[in-house]
Amino acid sequence: MTRLIEPEDDEMNRILSRKEEILPSSGFTASVMDAVRREAAAPPPIPFPWKRALPVLVAGGFVLVMVFVTLVVAIAQAIRSSATAQFSMSLPSMLAPIFALQGLQRNLGDAAGWSVLALLVAFVSAKLSMRLATGRA
Amino acid sequence: MQPPVIVSCPTIEAESGVSASDDQSDVERVLAGDISAFEGIVRRWQGPLVNLAYRFCHDRGRAEEMAQEAFLRAYRALAQWRKDAVFSTWLFALATNLYRSELRRIPARTVSIEDIPEPADARVSDRALEESTDDRDLAVRRAVGALPSKYREALILFYFHDMDVTTAARSLGLPEGTVKARLFRGREILRSKLPQLLAVPRLKEA
Repeated sequence: MTRLIEPEDDEMNRILSRKEEILPSSGFTASVMDAVRREAAAPPPIPFPWKRALPVLVAGGFVLVMVFVTLVVAIAQAIRSSATAQFSMSLPSMLAPIFALQGLQRNLGDAAGWSVLALLVAFVSAKLSMRLATGRA
Repeated sequence: MQPPVIVSCPTIEAESGVSASDDQSDVERVLAGDISAFEGIVRRWQGPLVNLAYRFCHDRGRAEEMAQEAFLRAYRALAQWRKDAVFSTWLFALATNLYRSELRRIPARTVSIEDIPEPADARVSDRALEESTDDRDLAVRRAVGALPSKYREALILFYFHDMDVTTAARSLGLPEGTVKARLFRGREILRSKLPQLLAVPRLKEA
């Protein structure tokens, strides 16, 4: 074990080494031991329910992946449809309403699909979290 | 500049007459389920832990609260003490860590280093000289409290451990070189901020 003293720091060392000792109050030990006993008497912390949570986490991950894939597919379709729209602009004007109707139908179908998926995810997550909270397997 | 003088230094354990085997046997008893054995550890180390906390916060009540929390954390983590390190080293490292994070959460009340008044030049009477010395000591301590935390912590630990860089470094969980650099820089700041205070010769103890 070593100590480092620089001679020119003697004055600072003297001032800072001077012990300003304080004594712990008389009840300090008892107070610490009370806290320790409370700690020892407390039930052990409830471990995280990995067994129950794992299926939920897996399902959540699966849903996230599905959403991502659906999003990518939707973007790809949108790009393709915009290309078709450009093509339709070059067609005679009497064919344009037919393409527009087809686009509207597809949009409605997409919206309905997304709504159903969102409702399903909300229902499943609510059900699972209630099951986790109540502790029923 | 003269090279630093390296001298051997007794540990807090040796100074306080605490035997490492007392700590070890108490820890073993606590781990075996005898909670009352922890009282021995508290009795042996309450003074140093409360005083270390007091050096960080300069508030007696808060120092005791922080020391109590340190003992509680030590109790919880007792099984993690590897016996290759002295118990006190482990305990001080744990306490230092806690005190530092507590003070980051709620800083101690300090004044800016610029606002620290210099003591009056009192060479009139012994009493005035004594007061002047007290003022100077207080100003230096306040200046330490106003240092940036990394220098302040290094200085506090270094002087708490009787100028033992090795133990201070262990308590801070830093390499010795880093602690030495921080001590050097901390002292430089103090010297630059309080040049007159630290240059005054100590007439009283001549």
